[in-house]
Amino acid sequence: MDFLANHIFTIIIFVAPLIYSIQPLLLSKINVINNAYDKDLLKRKKIILYRQIKELEMEFDIGNLNKDDFLLRRSEIKAEVSEIIASIKKK
Amino acid sequence: MNSKIFSLILGVLSVILFWIGWVSFNPSDEKAMARFVSVENLVNNKISSRIKLGGIVKNGSIEISKSNQLECFFVLKEGSAELAVNYSKTRPDLFKDGAEVIVTGEYRDGVFVADELQTKCASRYEGDLREESNYKLEELET
Amino acid sequence: MTPVAGGVALNLALGCSVLSIITLIAYNRTLDHRLFLAGQRLGLAISFFVFISTFILGYQLFVSNFDIDYVARYTSYETPNIFKISALWAGQSGSLLFWLFILSIFNTVTIIQNQDRHLNLMPWVIITMSVIQLFFLILTNFITNPFEPTQADFVVQNGNGLNPLLQNITMAIHPPTLYLGYVGFSVPFAFAFSALVNKDIGALWIRSIRRWTLVSWLFLSIGIILGGWWAYQELGWGGYWAWDPVENASFMPWLTATAFLHSIIVQEKKDMLRVWNMVLIILTFSLCIFGTFLTRSGVMSSVHSFTESSLGPVFLSFVFIILASSFGLMFSRMTVLKSPRKIESVSSRESGFLFNNLIFVVMCFGVFWGTLFPVITEWFNGDKISVGPPFFNQINTPIGLALLALTGIGPMLAWKGTSNNKLIQNFALPIAFGLLGAIIFVFLGFTTYTIISFSLCIFVVIAISSEFIKGVKVRKSKFNETIFLSLYKMIEKNRSRYGGYIVHLGIVLMFVGFTGHAFDKEKEFGIQVGQIESVANYNFQLTRMYEEERPNHYAWITDLRVSDAAGNFITSLRPEKRVYFHKNPDINKRQPHSELDIYSTMNKDIYSIFSSVSSDNSIAFIKIMINPLVKWVWIGGYILAFGTLIALWPRKD
Repeated sequence: MDFLANHIFTIIIFVAPLIYSIQPLLLSKINVINNAYDKDLLKRKKIILYRQIKELEMEFDIGNLNKDDFLLRRSEIKAEVSEIIASIKKK
Repeated sequence: MNSKIFSLILGVLSVILFWIGWVSFNPSDEKAMARFVSVENLVNNKISSRIKLGGIVKNGSIEISKSNQLECFFVLKEGSAELAVNYSKTRPDLFKDGAEVIVTGEYRDGVFVADELQTKCASRYEGDLREESNYKLEELET
Repeated sequence: MTPVAGGVALNLALGCSVLSIITLIAYNRTLDHRLFLAGQRLGLAISFFVFISTFILGYQLFVSNFDIDYVARYTSYETPNIFKISALWAGQSGSLLFWLFILSIFNTVTIIQNQDRHLNLMPWVIITMSVIQLFFLILTNFITNPFEPTQADFVVQNGNGLNPLLQNITMAIHPPTLYLGYVGFSVPFAFAFSALVNKDIGALWIRSIRRWTLVSWLFLSIGIILGGWWAYQELGWGGYWAWDPVENASFMPWLTATAFLHSIIVQEKKDMLRVWNMVLIILTFSLCIFGTFLTRSGVMSSVHSFTESSLGPVFLSFVFIILASSFGLMFSRMTVLKSPRKIESVSSRESGFLFNNLIFVVMCFGVFWGTLFPVITEWFNGDKISVGPPFFNQINTPIGLALLALTGIGPMLAWKGTSNNKLIQNFALPIAFGLLGAIIFVFLGFTTYTIISFSLCIFVVIAISSEFIKGVKVRKSKFNETIFLSLYKMIEKNRSRYGGYIVHLGIVLMFVGFTGHAFDKEKEFGIQVGQIESVANYNFQLTRMYEEERPNHYAWITDLRVSDAAGNFITSLRPEKRVYFHKNPDINKRQPHSELDIYSTMNKDIYSIFSSVSSDNSIAFIKIMINPLVKWVWIGGYILAFGTLIALWPRKD
């Protein structure tokens, strides 16, 4: 008993994380709603694509991109963006 | 990938690999490579190429020239084999009796003339723990 | 808490890592979200226990509990407090625990940061990271446990103390920065591995590991530069890089990581080189583990390696497992990975990146080849042949110069292909300046490599500056801003690109410094008070020599008056010869140390070492080195770090 009393702090520090880790297993089944997550993902994709368009324009202005390539890439990205916007709206 | 780029890649790759291989066989600086040899092997076979030796500085064998402090002779021991070594450059801080050293240089008429001398870490830092009797109190106070 | 608790914490961490791997694999089978949550929390618990045991070891070092073998071996009562803490990474078992500690920090950050991001990837990311932790936990639990009690049949009154060479602030922070770099690559590796398992080829995870990679790369770079700086300031052989196996061990992952940083740009922008990127990140991480092994195992004799140990086979098996499993996985995913796009022209930006990658990787192979040369030759014909700096310099000089050239060429190429007109327009000015420089250098009588190197430096600086100028011009006409505003805006809006260019400028300055090595001069001589010795147009007069006893050492100090050929006073140098532990009755336990003195200017360093003193204290033996342009290496290092920080600076959306 002395041992317990003397080392109660240590024991708590060692046992608490274990209980914390095992705790989810004791719950009843969790249903994850993926909707919010998916929406967030799409939004981030959209931001990245917007950035890519800006970078593309910059590259073109400097002259690191020829016109055909620029127009093609831009229309590709724009198509992708509108697809994403459409699916964000759906959710 | 188009074939032009592909062949260019192969070209660049083979040129550099050939270069690495070529230097490995013909280094321009004679000090670029050294063979690791045992002291015994060296003494018996009188090998003349550039050599790396490892061993221990024999206790009490270090002789520093009176006229030129940089000039130094000592005896290198590896197992039972011994060899006189001449080294005349700045000596590392850890060079002393009993130190483990690696010397690089050439064997000339019974003497090993070294132009590189490396020491291994000081015994104190990797060695055994000391007993109380090994201490002087003043050492603890500092 | 007691040292026992430290050991227990390590045991618990080991248990948690096994459990975390099992639960997450079970999650992948059942998709029961409870298992995922448990696995994630177990992942955090591993790190928590590692933190606890690291803090316990740190505390024991701090209070000098010599009942622990590690504490007794690397510290003593005399060790200053700050170095008691840095002793945490001075020895083998401690440094492995420290590796684990940093890994655990990164894992915690990754898990918390991605609680609701990359849900598809996270299970395997956590599994991969837990496996890496498990490996280091096996090492620290069973092979070199830092909490091992002292094995002595007497009471240890005082520890052995920390090597004075390591009692230096730079040396206290150099290993941690290097480790932050080494360890950091485990995060991108875990993501890449998980992406392979999940057949995810999207650009999203590439984006999020780019930052991790850049942070790790920055730490690795700073670690390498600090190591060089320390060697230059402390070791007294007048150089900063010796192609020592341990230095190579940090340089190899740096090379592949640099290649990776460049080639992920191509994947982000053009969705090409997917397979190649996988190869690079796998290689980088394996080289990090291999580097830790080279540093810690003592297979090569070197200043850094501690003692020979049983770590070798364990480490090599781990590297083998990483390589086999990741490359095996990669080949099984080949059909998914194959990019539908192809590089179309040699004069395109993407092919520029490709060649830069190729050269980085081959250079890495060259360094690897040289480092393992003794092993390779022994294997072939039984002769162990070691190679020295001249070998590495000869091999890497032309390769490095090719890379330098690409630093200038790459940014001037357009994506997909550059028209001939454009090529001429872009390259005319830089080439003209480079050639002009070359002609001047020929007249100055420099050697071939020096001429090439300096001319390329000019070429690259002009090329990069014209990139800046072009960008500013475009912004100025488009938004009608002042020059400074548009420069600022341009960098601010394209941080990674212009940050990258600034890093390139830093590299160019470092090359200027490396090239200065070709003009090094040195002389060793004995000198008496009043005498004058001259080295390369400088005169060195010994004006005074005296002795001094200080708190923890005894010192002989020389006073050298340095003047130029005309006799004008330049500076005074005071190199010292010190003996640490001078009160130790055992003469062999006293530790001599040469404290050098450097006079550093932009165009040259005057480097002085007091190597020994004659027995009657009348002659001082001094080594003087004139090292031109060394300062540019450090300046380049600062600029490199600055540029990386710009590229890293987070942006608001």
